[in-house]
Amino acid sequence: MRSKNTVIALIVAVVLAVISYMILAFVGLSGERGEGMPVIGGFYLQEAETPVMEELTKVYNLVTYIIAGIVAFVLGLMAFIMIRFREKANPVPSKTTHHVGLEIAWTIAPVLILLWIAVPSMNLLYNQDVIKDTEVTVKAVGNTWNWSYTYPDHENVEEIISNPLDKTQSKAAGKPYLLATDAALVVPVDTNVKVLVTSINNMHSWTVPSFGIKMDAVPGIINETWFRAKREGTFYGQCSEICGIKHYYMPIEVQVVSKADYAKWIANDGSFTTTVAQNNLGSGQTAAQK
Amino acid sequence: MAGHAVEHDYHLIPPSPWPLLSGIAALIWGFGMVVFFAGLQPRTGESPMMEWFFSKGLDSLQDSYRPVADKVGADGGWFFLVAGSIFAAYVMWSWWKDVAAESRAGDHTPVVDIGLRYGMIMFIMQEAMFFVGWFWMFFELGLFHKMRAGWDTAILENAPAYADSMAPGIHAINPWNLPLMNTVVLLLSGTTVTWAHHALIHNDRKGAKWGLGLTVLLGVFFTFLQGVEYLEAFHGRAEGEPWLSTDAYGSAFFMATGFHGLHVLIGTIFLAVMYLRLMKGGLRPEKHFGLEAAAWYWHFVDVVWLFLFAFVYIIFGYSLHG
Amino acid sequence: MVALPGENTPPATSSYDDDGKPGFFARWFYSTNHKDIGTLYLIFAIISGLIGGFLSFMMRMELAQPGIDFFQNEHQYLVYVSMHGLIMIFFMVMPAVIGGFGNWFVPIMIGAPDMAFPRMNNLSFWLLPTALICLLISFVVPGNANGNGFGGSWVMYPPLSTTGHPGPAFDFIIIGLLAAGFSSIFGAINFITTILNMRAPGMTMHKMPLFAWSVLVTAFLLLLALPVLAASLFMLFTDRIPGGTGFFDPARGGDPQMFQHLFWFFGHPEVYIMILPAFGIVSHIVSTFSKKPIFGYLGMAYAMVAIGVVGFVVWAHHMYTVGMDVNLKAYFLAATLVIAVPTGVKIFSWLATMWGGSIRYSIPMQWALAFIFLFVVGGVTGVMLANAGVDAYLHDTYYVVAHFHYVLSMGAVFGIFAGFYYWFGKMFGVQYNKWLAGAHFWLFFVGVNVIFFPQHFLGLNGMPRRYVDYPEEFAIWNQVSSMGAWITLAGVAFFFLMLIEALILNRKRVGDNYWGEGATTLEWTLSSPPPYHQFNTLPRIEETDGH
Repeated sequence: MRSKNTVIALIVAVVLAVISYMILAFVGLSGERGEGMPVIGGFYLQEAETPVMEELTKVYNLVTYIIAGIVAFVLGLMAFIMIRFREKANPVPSKTTHHVGLEIAWTIAPVLILLWIAVPSMNLLYNQDVIKDTEVTVKAVGNTWNWSYTYPDHENVEEIISNPLDKTQSKAAGKPYLLATDAALVVPVDTNVKVLVTSINNMHSWTVPSFGIKMDAVPGIINETWFRAKREGTFYGQCSEICGIKHYYMPIEVQVVSKADYAKWIANDGSFTTTVAQNNLGSGQTAAQK
Repeated sequence: MAGHAVEHDYHLIPPSPWPLLSGIAALIWGFGMVVFFAGLQPRTGESPMMEWFFSKGLDSLQDSYRPVADKVGADGGWFFLVAGSIFAAYVMWSWWKDVAAESRAGDHTPVVDIGLRYGMIMFIMQEAMFFVGWFWMFFELGLFHKMRAGWDTAILENAPAYADSMAPGIHAINPWNLPLMNTVVLLLSGTTVTWAHHALIHNDRKGAKWGLGLTVLLGVFFTFLQGVEYLEAFHGRAEGEPWLSTDAYGSAFFMATGFHGLHVLIGTIFLAVMYLRLMKGGLRPEKHFGLEAAAWYWHFVDVVWLFLFAFVYIIFGYSLHG
Repeated sequence: MVALPGENTPPATSSYDDDGKPGFFARWFYSTNHKDIGTLYLIFAIISGLIGGFLSFMMRMELAQPGIDFFQNEHQYLVYVSMHGLIMIFFMVMPAVIGGFGNWFVPIMIGAPDMAFPRMNNLSFWLLPTALICLLISFVVPGNANGNGFGGSWVMYPPLSTTGHPGPAFDFIIIGLLAAGFSSIFGAINFITTILNMRAPGMTMHKMPLFAWSVLVTAFLLLLALPVLAASLFMLFTDRIPGGTGFFDPARGGDPQMFQHLFWFFGHPEVYIMILPAFGIVSHIVSTFSKKPIFGYLGMAYAMVAIGVVGFVVWAHHMYTVGMDVNLKAYFLAATLVIAVPTGVKIFSWLATMWGGSIRYSIPMQWALAFIFLFVVGGVTGVMLANAGVDAYLHDTYYVVAHFHYVLSMGAVFGIFAGFYYWFGKMFGVQYNKWLAGAHFWLFFVGVNVIFFPQHFLGLNGMPRRYVDYPEEFAIWNQVSSMGAWITLAGVAFFFLMLIEALILNRKRVGDNYWGEGATTLEWTLSSPPPYHQFNTLPRIEETDGH
């Protein structure tokens, strides 16, 4: 009777743990990835577009494997205990209150798991945070409520005021509402770009999820971060630090162009004269030209 | 269980109105704080209830949006502040009168006495953490201002103001003048309160009265000196500049020393109440925790001052004037 | 379900009604009785929970589909977000676990007749309505040019809370939080003194029930963390005065980031303040319904102490993206991961307590088991967020919202409900209806999971917090999440039905120890409800080989 109980409990526990692990790992580690922007109903990180985001995805995957394992293990263990030691199956409770070996084991095991997590995590942190030699510098300033970008190295490029497109405008432009702006930040591909982030009044946070960067814009302080985009395209982000009523309405749009186009863009005082301009319907224009 | 005689030494207290009244007093006082400092101007068409309550006639309703009072105290609030303070003082007085009466009635058995000691120690611990907050702020502003200001100042519009705060160019009070005097006064009061305590233990009530009386006087003298110092700082300010609104250093200085001053005031009142009880024949040589608590508190205030004197006055005074 | 022992047996002695309680007004308004004050706290927590729950329900309704439909404007939504956080933390969870259960059961569990300072105990309570009134006033006074109320979220970061909200709404919140803070500080002093000074003869620290341990650790956290919050609130207050100080004003040399340090130095201990008492409650429930003593008692107690201590040195993991030095981030990363170790000890000790037991699945045990599992889910996402590198993606997204609601809305709140059902008969003398309580549990369990699990997906997909409107890519999971709000609402309705049924219709008294042999702490030696003043003769804890 008792052994039958144990077998049933064991089978249920193992099946439950395995299934839940598979589900959690599936949910945590797959799903459509948005390319530079969120994807409909997505449940995974956006596609990695920078080396840092690639590494971040790897660390995320590792940690997800581990934490899904922990959750599945605890679930299986609970299921086993709940079936095997229910009142009917085990009418006489034991009185054990100590097991030194066990207690040491469940202190040491988490330490080892945490070390396993900590090493790649520290690597990621230092790679992400230590600013590489950068070739392009842009300054992003959070205003209430839009972002403005300047190129400190290129005084001919006027300040880009990046206002969000409203519903009809974004529909007309075929761009996602609440992500698209009327003037994107333009940067070259395969180049280390340094971003200086600051704010003029409230705090904001300059975020591009697919680049794996998020940096608070704090008045009076200039924060630095960097990225290196792997491909050309348009990438979106949203302000990520509460800044007042239009917090949801100050998106970030980054347009990554080829180095040649970027050079041309700079030379033209911040406007495209190539076909890129037609493809991007006004993005990249400066505020003055609007 | 019920109906059994009470066989323990703990102190069970009959129902008391003071906690509820304290809550009400706190509400009145807090309301006064907001109305006094921030004002309560209604915003047209937004909160009818508050408009009905606080509007001063149609004129103010037709004003454009005015989020805060133009000037501190412009919207009144005096009434609430004063009423709340008087109410709170009355409640505290009655509450502690009850405590003293219970003590005389013998309710404070040895175990209750130990409990009171624990309570006082915990209270002083939380006061210490309160000042940790102010010192943390002070050190952060003082030690890292250049780090903040140094980040590419060229593209910061307010960089000069930034770099100058807590740096050469601002006034600091000469530590060897009034502050040194204050230090001496407080240290002296620390010795007189110990004198009073020891005299009481040896049943020398006259000595205790002298010691305690002197301590209270020294406490008042400290507050007086601090007031003089504030006045000098006030008069030393640039023309048209408000009192507190100097810069980060001024903020940290005034708020840290101001809250210390408030604690000195509380400690002085605490000691003065003990002095009154002593004069009225209270406080016995073997049982006088009230006095001990006051003395602990006074020593705590003393130690906080020493930290203020060492860091806020001396070290920053030197770092400023060199 | 198995019949509960004691449910059908008449109480041994009905000593409750003849012990000289004062009249109604004096009893409930001038109270100096820890049990009455505990009841007041619980009522207060339920009222605040209704207000806070209403706010969150409105938020979910707004977010059910893209667009701004429910609220007049964005400001009102942010006001709801901010007030939901503040009210749930300061006026629901803390009064329930510390004020409510702490007041009710800490003195009884350690064999004391009352709290150390009964009058101050009541002051702790009466400061809370004062505080809540201040917060409610702030709803209807101007916040900034966009409307009434304060919309800077519960973290109150300047400059949004200084120049961003010049109206008196935020001043009322400051005053309210100061009142609530002093209430908690006085409560903490009271609990520490009670626990250190008033344990019954023979009750050494190492024999003290784990709930008392958890409240002791919590009280120290309150005592050391809240004054720092008070200082930072005073700084905000004076910064907001026209011509006042400039602590957080960069133009005058102040540092807006410094507020975050001060706030989170309080804020991180605060999250342990909310969860530790729930740990204590769950420990007792697991032991009671497994009919086994706690496994690894000392490890459990010192794990809580360790969590409390480490909780003071990890605060900046809430602010990885403010632009801190990388070495500082590395330190906070490491220190934060360390917290997983004592937490793991607690989880495994609960499971080991159940191992070999004879487990009965009564309502409190269901809540406790759900607590353990969901706390694990919330805990492991905390390990994810501790990674400063990954946090650059997840910071301030819905992943964080999901994480802390798993540990609070399911951790702390499940702990509160577990304790509520566990002690229901003890506190009120009547037992809850099992069917209604079961419906409450299952609806609530399903509801909160449906609300918060999809929010992980939203966060991973990149949706930031505190957004009144969002790109339509996020619509699906938001819709699912909002459906969960309806299920949870139904669960809450059953909670009130249960209360009405039990307290108004059901007059059947329960016995002293209605859970049977597993319930070994001192409250089960008293009648249900306990006499107005218990332990006129102090209980003596026998010398045993113990734990």
